[in-house]
Amino acid sequence: MPFDILFTEPWGDWGWKVGVYVALLGLAGGAYIAAFGADLLAWRKDNPRLGSIAKYGYLSGLLALIVGPPVLLSHLATPFRAALIPLTMTNFGSWMTIGAYMIGGAAVGTIVMFGWTAFGTERPYRDPELKGRPIAADGGDAATDGGREIADGGSPEAAAIDEPAGGLRVVAGKVGVLGLLDRLADVTRPSEPIRMALGGVFAIFAAGVLVYSAMAFGSGPEGRVALWNETFLLPVQILSGLGIGLGTAVGLTALLDGDTGRALQNYALATVGLMLATLLAVIATVTLLPSVEPAAEAGVANMLGEYALLFVGGAIVVGILVPVVLLLAAVFGERRGALSPTAARASYFIAAFILVPGQIMLAWVYLLAAEYTPLILPV
Amino acid sequence: MSTQDADGPARILPNWGSCIDCGACEVACQRTWDLPTDTQRIQVVRMNEGTDDEQNKPMQCYNCTDAPCVDVCPTDALFFRDDGTVRVSGDLCIGCHYCGVACPFGAPQYPDAEVPEAEEMDPLGMRGNGLMDKCTSCEPRQEEGLEPACASECPTDALVFGTPGELSERLAQDDAVKPFSDESARVVFGDQAEEVMPE
Repeated sequence: MPFDILFTEPWGDWGWKVGVYVALLGLAGGAYIAAFGADLLAWRKDNPRLGSIAKYGYLSGLLALIVGPPVLLSHLATPFRAALIPLTMTNFGSWMTIGAYMIGGAAVGTIVMFGWTAFGTERPYRDPELKGRPIAADGGDAATDGGREIADGGSPEAAAIDEPAGGLRVVAGKVGVLGLLDRLADVTRPSEPIRMALGGVFAIFAAGVLVYSAMAFGSGPEGRVALWNETFLLPVQILSGLGIGLGTAVGLTALLDGDTGRALQNYALATVGLMLATLLAVIATVTLLPSVEPAAEAGVANMLGEYALLFVGGAIVVGILVPVVLLLAAVFGERRGALSPTAARASYFIAAFILVPGQIMLAWVYLLAAEYTPLILPV
Repeated sequence: MSTQDADGPARILPNWGSCIDCGACEVACQRTWDLPTDTQRIQVVRMNEGTDDEQNKPMQCYNCTDAPCVDVCPTDALFFRDDGTVRVSGDLCIGCHYCGVACPFGAPQYPDAEVPEAEEMDPLGMRGNGLMDKCTSCEPRQEEGLEPACASECPTDALVFGTPGELSERLAQDDAVKPFSDESARVVFGDQAEEVMPE
């Protein structure tokens, strides 16, 4: 009779850090694409509200990139060697190499697009009347974008702290780097058409990061881990990455800018749509994958059995359904006047806050439940 | 005994029917190369776990012709030598475990033992500190005209060593058991699979 050989399972090779990395890469790629979409619309429609969502989308992606890759590096045996990417990552047939370069391109894009939208006196979507003028100082008039015009002797740092909104600039001001960042952004920022063209190029890298976030799992030899079937895993990772990217942009905009207007509400509804689409992709995986690839049956059984609490309770209920309910409640509660702006802001932010651990739990489930397809020997 | 022939690299293959689960191969490998205790270049793995047919059999790197580990290694730390065998460069490996996830035979190991850097940089030296380690087919022994230690010390000749042509002859004998499924044989022998292991 044939013998099945059982090896150490994928979790034994990769563990929780790779799950966090994959989840945060999905967020990074999705957030950039969502942000660039908003940026593009804001530019075409001259809508500063959308510009604000773009700015916080870029910030979400930046935060994910600041945390995710170092978590992966800490998993490696030689993190410093791995960090020398141009010298070490040379096999372009490997998805890890492709992913490393995609992350590099997306990181550059996220940093510059965030810097150009968040800093500088000439930054886009700032009140046109204030463009080119130093930002706010004590006693100045409040500007429509939250800044105040600067008075004689007032420093940008002091002004930023005085801003009623724009929490990021406040933080930069408190750290004492706001003036430097503003000057740097103004000196390097290209014209808007060129900025958008560059943003489009960086969006290709961000899309690559999003795809890599799935292929990091699914890139092995065909059938080695049946649960990571690319046909089923790619939609889950792409949809969820876009969903949490958009969701965190909405949450941060509501929290830091205090803006819960129509544009933000529409983006919250788009987040709901993407997360529900993610749910459908996950349901398709557990219902259809075992019939398409029988070897995946054990992995799906693990998801619904041994790891049901993490999968159903954590990834689906906490990570998808609760944020969806919070976002819908915030949007329709505010539109119908049943929810105060403060309560709506809290709902948007809490939804965004729990989307991220939900995505991490989903990635963990895919790792924990995965089993190598047993090696069949003809003995 | 051959180290290499025109028809391909010499490999160690299991002859499952002869194995008596004694573990002598593991001991021979550990002792010959003075390996750390958690380094298992040949590993006795459990088959049909939890059933009446549960057995333990040795597995190691088969220096596959279509080596999945080489395909997925991001840093080209895994590479084919001119003779067709697969080696790992200690100075390029980053310990990402991609090869471990890709290898269908569970060959890559990642021992945590402290190993001197000079040893790790030696192409045939042992690896530790989380870097990838695997069977080297006892290349230094082959250069001395000796079989790999595991095959040499196996009391029942359950480990067969030879080039594809020699293995084909050995597997054609009545008592030999075909070591792989057709799919696995294609990974190990590539286009030679049907010559070495006729259906």
